Amino acid sequence: MTQTASAAEAGATSTAASDDVPTIEPRASRSWWRLILLLIGAAVFLFPFYYMIVGSLQKTANTTLSGTLPQPGNITLHNYGQINAALGLGRAIINSGIFTGGVLLGTLVLGILAGYALAQLRFRGRGLLFAFMLLLLMVPFQLLIIPLYVIIVRNYGLGNNYLGMIAPFAINSTAVFIFRQYFLQVPKELFDSARIDGANELRVLTRIALPLVRPAVLTAMLLTFIGPWNEFLWPFLITKEQGLQPLAVALGNYIETVSGVATNPYGAIMAGSFVLALPAVVLFVIFQRHFVTVNIGSAVKG
Amino acid sequence: MKSRIVAAAAVPLMVGLLAACGGGGGGSASANNAQGPITIWYSNNAQEVAWGKQMVASWNKLHPSEQVTGQEIPAASSSEEVIGAAITAGSEPCLIYNTAPAAVPTFEQQGGLVSLSSFPGGASYIEARTGPGASVYKSPDGQYYQMPWKSNPVMIFYNKTIFAKAGLSTTSPPLSTYSEFLATAKTLVSSGAAKYAIYPNPSSDFFQSWYDFYPMYAAETGGTELVKSGKATFNSAAGDAVAAFWQQMYAENLAGKGSYTNDPFAAGTAAMAIVGPWAIANYQGKVDWGVVPVPTTAGSHGDQVPTFSDAKNIAMYASCKNRGTAWDFLKYSTSVAEDGKLLTMTGQMPMRQGIQQLYAPYFKANPAYTVFAAEAAHVIEVPNVPNSIQDWQVFRDAWSKSVIFGQQSPDAALAGAATQINKLVAATP
Amino acid sequence: MTSVTAPRPKFPPLEGELRPDARPSGRQRLTRAAFGRNPIGMLFGAPYALFIALLFAYPLFLAVWISFHSYFFAAPGVSVPRPFVGLANYTAVLTDPAVRQAFVNIAIFLVINVPLTVILSLLLATALNAAIPFRAFFRTSYYVPYVTASVATIGVFLFILSPGGIFNHVLGPLAPVPSWLVNQNWAMPSVAIYVTWKSLGFFILLYLAALQNVPEELYEAAKVDGASWWHRLRAVTIPGVRQVTTLVSLLAIITGANLFTEPYLLTAGGGPDGKSASPVWLIYQSGIEQNHPDFASALGVLLVILVLLISAGVWLLQRRQA
Repeated sequence: MTQTASAAEAGATSTAASDDVPTIEPRASRSWWRLILLLIGAAVFLFPFYYMIVGSLQKTANTTLSGTLPQPGNITLHNYGQINAALGLGRAIINSGIFTGGVLLGTLVLGILAGYALAQLRFRGRGLLFAFMLLLLMVPFQLLIIPLYVIIVRNYGLGNNYLGMIAPFAINSTAVFIFRQYFLQVPKELFDSARIDGANELRVLTRIALPLVRPAVLTAMLLTFIGPWNEFLWPFLITKEQGLQPLAVALGNYIETVSGVATNPYGAIMAGSFVLALPAVVLFVIFQRHFVTVNIGSAVKG
Repeated sequence: MKSRIVAAAAVPLMVGLLAACGGGGGGSASANNAQGPITIWYSNNAQEVAWGKQMVASWNKLHPSEQVTGQEIPAASSSEEVIGAAITAGSEPCLIYNTAPAAVPTFEQQGGLVSLSSFPGGASYIEARTGPGASVYKSPDGQYYQMPWKSNPVMIFYNKTIFAKAGLSTTSPPLSTYSEFLATAKTLVSSGAAKYAIYPNPSSDFFQSWYDFYPMYAAETGGTELVKSGKATFNSAAGDAVAAFWQQMYAENLAGKGSYTNDPFAAGTAAMAIVGPWAIANYQGKVDWGVVPVPTTAGSHGDQVPTFSDAKNIAMYASCKNRGTAWDFLKYSTSVAEDGKLLTMTGQMPMRQGIQQLYAPYFKANPAYTVFAAEAAHVIEVPNVPNSIQDWQVFRDAWSKSVIFGQQSPDAALAGAATQINKLVAATP
Repeated sequence: MTSVTAPRPKFPPLEGELRPDARPSGRQRLTRAAFGRNPIGMLFGAPYALFIALLFAYPLFLAVWISFHSYFFAAPGVSVPRPFVGLANYTAVLTDPAVRQAFVNIAIFLVINVPLTVILSLLLATALNAAIPFRAFFRTSYYVPYVTASVATIGVFLFILSPGGIFNHVLGPLAPVPSWLVNQNWAMPSVAIYVTWKSLGFFILLYLAALQNVPEELYEAAKVDGASWWHRLRAVTIPGVRQVTTLVSLLAIITGANLFTEPYLLTAGGGPDGKSASPVWLIYQSGIEQNHPDFASALGVLLVILVLLISAGVWLLQRRQA
C-alpha cells in the first residue's frame, strides 16, 4: 500500500481545521443512534490496538474473554525483552528512521522544487515531466520490483545499503502532486511583484510561496512519512542483512520464521507490533489538527 | 496520449542502455591461489552458531594474515532466496555453511559457484572424507560444486509420556508398517492422549515434502531419488502408497492441516514428529522422546531403512576473491577434530565415513544418537537436476491439493506433477 | 483557504533581471523559445526528472523487455544467453493454474472489500459529519488503523484469529475448523475483512471532505419535503458524492489487485492450498524465489493491464451515469 494507495492522497484531506459547522439539526433520538453507531465503530477500530497492548504484556497467551483485561498474575515485560533480543528493536527502529528520514528529506527538498516548477514556472519539458508524474502514479510499484531490484543492485551497486532502500521512494510523487496543487492556488501576482523587485526564483520559492503553503507541506510530509515507515516489500527484498532491516521487515520476518522459539510467541509478536505502531500513531495524534481541507473537487477530476 | 508517445520515443534510448549492460568475462584461475581475509556464513541455529564461532576463532589465532569473519545467514523464509539474491548482487560470502543441495543446480546455473574439483586434490579430499556416498553430490558435468557436510537423517520421534497415556508400548511402539502406524495414530487421538498423532508442517513451501513424503518414499523404495535419469520416479506404486498413507492421516484428522508457529511436538499437541536430530535441542526438557525409523508398507528393518538425509553442505561462491584461503579453511573446518566438535555441539551427523568408530566416546555417552549415526549410512539425497527448486514446488503443490486438502485423487495429482517435472528437468537450464 | 495577505517582501533590484512586464529583446525571445519563460524551472525539476528516468522509466522498460525474453538472474560478470521468446512467457502465465487461482482469489477479495468499503465509509462519514460530541476522538480512532504499519496490525489479527484465539473462543462451537486463516474457504475473506478494517479511515476522510461540499440547502429542502433519513441519504448524499465514490472504488480496486503484504503475512504465503495467493505474491515467488523473472514480469505486465482495464471500466461507468 505505497505509491498506489497514496495516489489518492492527492486529494487527501481531512476535516476542516475549524470543525464546528453543523450540517443539520439532528432530532434528539437520531443523534443518540448516531452516537451509538460511532461508538461501536470506534470500539471495533480501536479494540485490536488495545488487545495488542494487553497481549504484549501477557506472560502466557490467554485467549479467553478474561484475557482481554490485564490480569495481575499474568503481566510481564519479558515479551519485550525477547523480541528485543531476537530483532534488536533499537537498531531496527534506527533503520526505519534512516529510511523514512531519507525519503522525507528527498521529498521535502527535491519534491517541493519539482512541485513549484510544475506549478508556477514555464519551461521546456514541463508538460513531459507532468505526464510522467501522472504515469508514475498510475503504474503499481509491484510491476517494477523485479527490474528495480536488478537495476539498483547490479547497475547502481546499491544492494544491502540504505541508499538502495531509499532510492525508489526518494521523491514521493503524490507529495509532488499535492505541492503542485497548492502552488497552483497561490495567485501569480504575488510572484510577479517579487520578481519585479528583482528576486530570483529560489528566493521567490522560499520567501513567498513556501510560507503560504506550509500547512499543505505538513500534510504532505505526514503522508510521506507513513509510506516508508510501514513499507514491507521493498526493504524486505533489498536488505537481507539483519543489521540493516527496518522494523517492519524485521518483525515480518520474525512472524514468518522464528517466532516459535519464544516463550510466548504471540506476546513477543505483539510487543514488536506495539513498538512499530507507536511512533506513527503518536505523530498522527499530535499533528492531526494541522490537516487542512483541500479543494477536493479539482483533485478528483484529475 | 502524450505519455505513450513519450514512452515509445524512449525505446531506442533504453535499448542502447541495455545493450551496454550485458555480461562480462569469467573468473580467473589464479583466484584459486589467492590468500587473504574471507567472510563465511553459517546457519542461525543456535548450536551451529556456537560451533561456527569457536571454529572461526581457532582458525584466526593460527592465521593472523588470513582472518575469517563469520556471520549468521540473514533470516528469510528460505535460505535459498537469500543466497540467490546475494549472488545476483555479487554480495555473497566466500563460503556458506548452509547450502541446500536442492539449490545447488540453481546457483550453478547463475554462475554463482566455484568448482571444488578445480582445486588440486579437491575431489579426492571430498571422497576420502565422505566415501562412495559423495558421488550423488556431483553435478551433471562430473565436478563437485558443493561439499557434503552434515546430515540429519529423518526419523520418527515419539512422545513416551503420551504413548504411555494411550496405553501403547514406549519401548517398542507399533510403528513399523503402515497399518500399524495408522492404528497407533487412531488410538493416540481417540484416547485423548494427544490432539494429533503427528503434525508435519502442511505449508506449501517447496521444501516441506522433505519432511513428510520424501523420507517415507526413500524407505518404501529402498533408496530411490525423486528423479532418476531425467525422469520422475514417484508416479509408481511406491509413490502412490506413500500418498495414500498420508491422505488417510489427513482425512481422519490424525495430522493437522493448519500452519503453525509453535512446534507441536514440543508443545505436546502432537504425539509424534518426523524430523532429524537437530530438533533434539528443542525437545530437551520438554518431551521424553524415543526414536524409530519411518514406516513402510511391509515393515521396517531396524536401522537399515533408507530415509532422507536433510543434508546441508558447504559451497564456495563466485564473488570470493581469496579462494586459496577459502579452500584451506574449508579443509580445516571439516577435519576429524572439527567434525567431532560439530557432532558434540550440535548432535548432527558429519558426513564422514566411520563416525561411530571415530567418535565412540560420544556415542557411548549419548546412546540415543547411535541410531542416527547408523541411519546416516542409508540416506538418499534430493536429485541434482535442473530447476530443482521448481520441481519440488510442483510436487508440493500437487501434494497439498490432493493429499492434504483432498481436492483431487493423489494418483492423478502425482501423475500430473510427474509430467510437469519431466518437462522441467529436460529444459535447458 | 488560507488568506494571502502576506506583506510584500522587499528585495534589492538586481542587474539584468527580466521584468515580467518588459518587452523581451531578440536574444531573450530566442532563449524563451528554446527553454521556456522560466528556464530555471528545468533546474528545479531536474532532480525529479532524473529520479523518474532512473527509477521508474528504466525499470518499467526493463520489466517489459524481460517479459519478452528468457531471463534469469546470474552472478555479476557471468554472461548467459537471453534469447527473445515472443509471447512464450505470457502463454506460460495464462495457462498456469496457480495464476488463475490467484486471480480468482483477488476477485473474491474485491467482491467483499470494495462494496463493504464504499458502504461503510459513506455511512460512517455521514454519521461523523453531523454535530456530535467528541468528534475529534472519533475521527482519530477511525484513522489510527490506517496510519499503523500493516505488519503491526497483522500481528494482533494473527493472535485474534488463531485457532485458540479470542474470536474462536467467543464463537464457541460456531468457530470454523480449521480456523479462519488456515481454512480454504475463509482465508481470503478473512484477509478482505482485515484490509477493509485497516483502510476504512482513509476513505472515511475522503467522504467527509466531499460531504462538506454538499450544499446544506438540499438537505433542508428534503427535510421540508418530509423525507426520512434514508431518503435523504439516497436522494441527496449519494448523488452528491458520486465522484468520490468512483475514486474510492478505484483506489480500493487498485490496492486490492496489488495486494502482497497482507495475504503473505496473514496466511503464510499462498495460504491453504493456494487459496489466498495474490498475483503479486506469485510475482515474488517466481521472480525471486525460483529465479524466473521472465515469468514474473509477464505476470506483472498482465496485472497492470488488467487493473488499467478495470479502472477504465469503472471510470466510464461513472461518466455514463453522470
